[in-house]
Amino acid sequence: MMDRTPRPPEALMRAIAQDLRPVKPAPRPLRLALEAAPWALLLSSLVLLAVGIRGDSGILGPLLTWGASAAQFALAIVLVWIGAHEGTPAGRLPKQAVYSTAAAALLVVVAITVSTLSISPAGSALRVPGGLPVPPWAMDLTCGIGSTVAGGILVLLFSWIFRNSLAIRPSVAGALYGAGAGIAINAGWRIACPVTPLRHALGAHGTAIVATMLLGALIGRLLQTRGRRPN
Amino acid sequence: MIRYQGGSLEAFQDIYAELASSVRRYLSHLAGGSEIADDLLQETFLQMHRSRAAYNPAYAVRPWVFGLARNVFLMNRRAARRWAQVHESREDLPESPVLPEADSLGSRDEIRRGIASLATDQAEALLLHHEWGFSFDEIAGILGISAAAARARASRGMADLRAALTGLQRARA
Repeated sequence: MMDRTPRPPEALMRAIAQDLRPVKPAPRPLRLALEAAPWALLLSSLVLLAVGIRGDSGILGPLLTWGASAAQFALAIVLVWIGAHEGTPAGRLPKQAVYSTAAAALLVVVAITVSTLSISPAGSALRVPGGLPVPPWAMDLTCGIGSTVAGGILVLLFSWIFRNSLAIRPSVAGALYGAGAGIAINAGWRIACPVTPLRHALGAHGTAIVATMLLGALIGRLLQTRGRRPN
Repeated sequence: MIRYQGGSLEAFQDIYAELASSVRRYLSHLAGGSEIADDLLQETFLQMHRSRAAYNPAYAVRPWVFGLARNVFLMNRRAARRWAQVHESREDLPESPVLPEADSLGSRDEIRRGIASLATDQAEALLLHHEWGFSFDEIAGILGISAAAARARASRGMADLRAALTGLQRARA
């Protein structure tokens, strides 16, 4: 009797046989998110330790200073978790849940920014060691470039954690963990940054979040392209 | 799959033998033709090999590979801009499966045409559930929708298919 079991074509078998090194199974999405969380916490705390807490934290109160940042940080980790699901072929979450959580996370950042402005419109002045106040453009540059660099470093760390876990939709998964990295950094940065006007908060800090999101999408795509190269 | 992740070529052959036929039929349904389905099948298994480290044993292998196959099809469609051609070529549907539930309602060819006339998302959910036996939770994970939406798509698809085939039977009578 003829054996009707499907057999892989020769070319496919050759390609498979060329690289059969043992691999370690990727962690589940929740585990990936939990691995990412301590790095996010460490990096977002560094700026706080370096610059110190903003001068108007007494006016803002603990809820808007620490509580809002904690909520923002938790949402960032949820985005990382969703990103991990998005890269898993059988584990995708409903599209509506993915997009509404991403939109909600960005809205929460805007809402916290607006609330901060409404309670402390003047913010507080940051002075350099000589006693001179720092001009607004310098603050914009410092926050914009600083939080983009910090977020970029976190995106690189997340990409290392995700390096073997993006089987599908790498750009979307990368954009999600990239946005998570940006929002996590912003959660710490906003407690240090004393400038409250929307122009600064959304312009400098918001641009950093968008930049890390784009960087995540780009690295996600590169990770998969690298995986497609023949060994 | 765990043996395969450990470096066993035989394990890959076992997975291929177990899944190739059903994945090929799924790809043939998605692509609307068997010529491209063969290429997509090889690409799916190549992609499975490259992404084998991304597999976690907590997931069932079949939906994981079907999810990969769907992604390979979507990437290919985007890259080749063949969407229009795919839809034009749906007329002949060479290897569209025939659902056992609809078997009494028409000939194989009528059922194939009936499935081809359904909305794409309904036909996909219908076949994943009734033809390949995935649970609605598994379909949800493959398609990126909720389990309730998967159930609704499959049941709407079945209702539309029944209506189309019953209408055809009446017209014939």
